[in-house]
Amino acid sequence: MKTCETPMIEIRNLHKRFGQNEVLRGIDLTVCPGEVVVIIGPSGSGKSTALRCINRLEEITSGKVVVDGHDLYAPATDINYVRTEAGMVFQQFNLFPHMSVLDNVTLGPIRVRRTPRAEADRLGLALLEKVGLADKATAYPDQLSGGQKQRVAIARSLAMQPKVLLFDEPTSALDPELVGEVLEVMRALALEGMTMVIVTHEMGFAREVADRVIFIDQGRIQEEGPPDEFFSAPKNPRLREFLGRVRHA
Amino acid sequence: MALDFKASVMWESVPLLLGGVHLTIIITLGGLAIGFLLGTATGLAKTARGKLPRALADIYVEAIRGTPLIVQVMFLYFGVPLATGMRIPPVTAGIVAIAVNSGAYIAEIVRGAVESIDVGQTEAGRSIGLTRMQALLYVVWPQAFRRMIPPLGNQFIISLKDTSLLVVIGVGELTRQGQEIIAVNFRAFEVWLTVAVMYLVMTLSIARVLRIYERKLNARFGR
Repeated sequence: MKTCETPMIEIRNLHKRFGQNEVLRGIDLTVCPGEVVVIIGPSGSGKSTALRCINRLEEITSGKVVVDGHDLYAPATDINYVRTEAGMVFQQFNLFPHMSVLDNVTLGPIRVRRTPRAEADRLGLALLEKVGLADKATAYPDQLSGGQKQRVAIARSLAMQPKVLLFDEPTSALDPELVGEVLEVMRALALEGMTMVIVTHEMGFAREVADRVIFIDQGRIQEEGPPDEFFSAPKNPRLREFLGRVRHA
Repeated sequence: MALDFKASVMWESVPLLLGGVHLTIIITLGGLAIGFLLGTATGLAKTARGKLPRALADIYVEAIRGTPLIVQVMFLYFGVPLATGMRIPPVTAGIVAIAVNSGAYIAEIVRGAVESIDVGQTEAGRSIGLTRMQALLYVVWPQAFRRMIPPLGNQFIISLKDTSLLVVIGVGELTRQGQEIIAVNFRAFEVWLTVAVMYLVMTLSIARVLRIYERKLNARFGR
């Protein structure tokens, strides 16, 4: 169990049930500022659900989720405010198809932060530059490749200057040759010290970029540790089995 | 007995019928403008989280869809004043009837279009801090609206034709004008034919205008 003075994310005994199906059975997780945590696990293990709880995209059955000192599920919490502190990048990108790429990025700053349009555009263009898509500012999402869409989605999240970025299988919907460009952007963010929680199947990326890897299975964290030990000497038998299957896939 | 067709009768009836066309257009536009607002509010209420708005919207839509328009019109014009003690001018009653009736159908169009937008769109909007209302307004509605245009066009055409039922309360719209001309000259064939052509011109115009508008929207959305 990781400890730090002021954790960025603190999850305590998180339970989530969909009807009869208990997806999360007591998750405890602390993420420190600047840390990159990668979550892996078989499909249906609850890893995406756990991630979505950090942005309150799911209602929880019991437990506690604290992001940067804000208790997400406390009635008094301004959820709209807290959501701006944790950006979310989705597997299906979820870009707004009726808006240009630049408008996708500036919507949050303009409507939530009340940033004047000229300033928001400057910020948006700088972020598009950062993800290598400044030349696509006036394009529409349908005119982009999957990798470009995901990079726009990352720029859109960054526009709110979040303290944490959450990635829900960001490369799973991409053609193999487009995965690299997205991982490259994520790697650069990690190097800048962005706090990140990433659900992914990219084991090579996890090994290289993660400070800590977490294995979730059957709604619980089964094993966690720095990537070196985690991948070279997995203790949990289900993790060993999982890694074996993924490596041969 | 062969029909003694007189084209001149058609031409002669045009000026009077155009008066009816004028009223038909006013009632249709007025009714649909209010109906669209009513339908949007009701349709959105159907997608709301609260049980009460959903229940009220359901009652309204079912009551209107489940009863004939002609009964609604007569109830409003002849029935309601007996309860309220206030007579309603026929044209006003006509506009209200078209508004309330089309609103129920438009509500279903709005609900269907809004629900057809992927939930990931709302989630993406909420995750950058938009409120529920903002996500609806800036993210979901513009996409849903585009999907509404074809079924809305359909409803506009139906409502325009439905105004002919207002003959039962004596509104001087197109159908009523036709009846009155025939009462004088007994030329049912020529006059009803002219009336039909006039309805056709109006409905085709609606379809045309909406198709142009749809194309314009699509162009703006970059496809």
